[in-house]
Amino acid sequence: MSTQRNCKYVFILITFSLLVLLGSKSVYAQAADTTATDSTAHKVKKKETAGRQLNVGVNLVRPAMNFFTPDLFGYEFEWDYYTKNEFYLAGEGGWGGSWVNYTNPLLQYTTKNEFLSFGFNKSLLPRDRPTDWDMMFIGMRVGVAPVKRSPVSYTILDSVWGNTPDTTTKGQNFTAIWAELTGGMRVELFKGLMAGWNFRGRFLLNAKSFDVLAPIYIAGYGRGDKDVAFDFNVYLSYGIRWKRRNTTDTASLAPAIVK
Amino acid sequence: MTKPGKYLFIILVALLVIGWLACTQARQPCETPLTASLNMEMEHLISVTDSTFVDTVLPGAEFIPITRIPNRAPDTDIYPPGTLFTLSLSPIDTMCQWAFTTDSAKTGTTFDTFTFYYQRSLQFVSNSCGYTYFYNIDTVVSTHHNIDSIHILSKGVTNNVNTTQLQICIHPDYF
Repeated sequence: MSTQRNCKYVFILITFSLLVLLGSKSVYAQAADTTATDSTAHKVKKKETAGRQLNVGVNLVRPAMNFFTPDLFGYEFEWDYYTKNEFYLAGEGGWGGSWVNYTNPLLQYTTKNEFLSFGFNKSLLPRDRPTDWDMMFIGMRVGVAPVKRSPVSYTILDSVWGNTPDTTTKGQNFTAIWAELTGGMRVELFKGLMAGWNFRGRFLLNAKSFDVLAPIYIAGYGRGDKDVAFDFNVYLSYGIRWKRRNTTDTASLAPAIVK
Repeated sequence: MTKPGKYLFIILVALLVIGWLACTQARQPCETPLTASLNMEMEHLISVTDSTFVDTVLPGAEFIPITRIPNRAPDTDIYPPGTLFTLSLSPIDTMCQWAFTTDSAKTGTTFDTFTFYYQRSLQFVSNSCGYTYFYNIDTVVSTHHNIDSIHILSKGVTNNVNTTQLQICIHPDYF
């Protein structure tokens, strides 16, 4: 990657981080105001009113892509866990591969990989009520994928001197690491059943590893021969919810503190 | 979120999925030059005693690859008047030869032969284009009917068309 490109990625990452920071600051500011008002009456810090939620889902775009693009496949699952102040720990995992079988000039190889990504989402929508889990969010991830590439068969075409004979190079194992920015929305269709979409912009952090042959597809990242990959996902997920341990305790304690 | 909002969300998702899948393309066209260009500029000395080089415009230079492909007439490249010429090196060997004359239209023209010795390095261009070879020139040998000398300016031969690798000095007696 050139220095100019690196600067561009750093700029995008910093801008995005500032947006996340501003978003979280406004929520904290609101929380602080509420606390200040409440504190005169109750002297109690604002408690998180929403419960816990572990959301587990599947990316529906992948099976559709598998159908439309028979030379690559992938499956992807996601999870997120609500912590507090509209922050969610989040991650994805899955596997996939590709078959490159090009002619004229010949280029044949296969790739397979699993992947994991981990990061957070920040909801930008204020809750209507504690049980409102609809969200519009932005988030960041770091992803890693160990990739296995088969031996590569190729020819080089030359109209003057003649084509090279079919040649095969050795297979290679390598690791792809990327940073990711995401944004999207998710709504609750029925009780616990949620659907959502998001856009992802991914920035390959070790593109130099692929100078020998950049794989056409890395499951979880996208086109391995691009330093930046964009993706669109649709998730169907289910949220498992439970109450916070201290929610009821706080309610019962509050009158005692007032006293 | 309100009910109309949820319906709008589902419609938006459906449109985005259709748009995304429609944009999916299997193999993109190769837009990178694959052939490594060996660029040469023609010059000559003003006189045998003067070491000043000036550009030489050749009236109709002709280059013929001396290939080893059986049953095939060699391709010839006849250039319009100019000073800069581009050749290719053989990807199937570590040496190749080109026959060269300064003016193909001239009757009884004499040919010189360039022999290039080089090392190949396999280069992955992209999934669309596949592989190609870049080269590193070791030596260049020629006959001397019209050629005085050859100077290697840059040993690397890549798909960068802006690098001039060889300076060919035409014999002052030619003019």
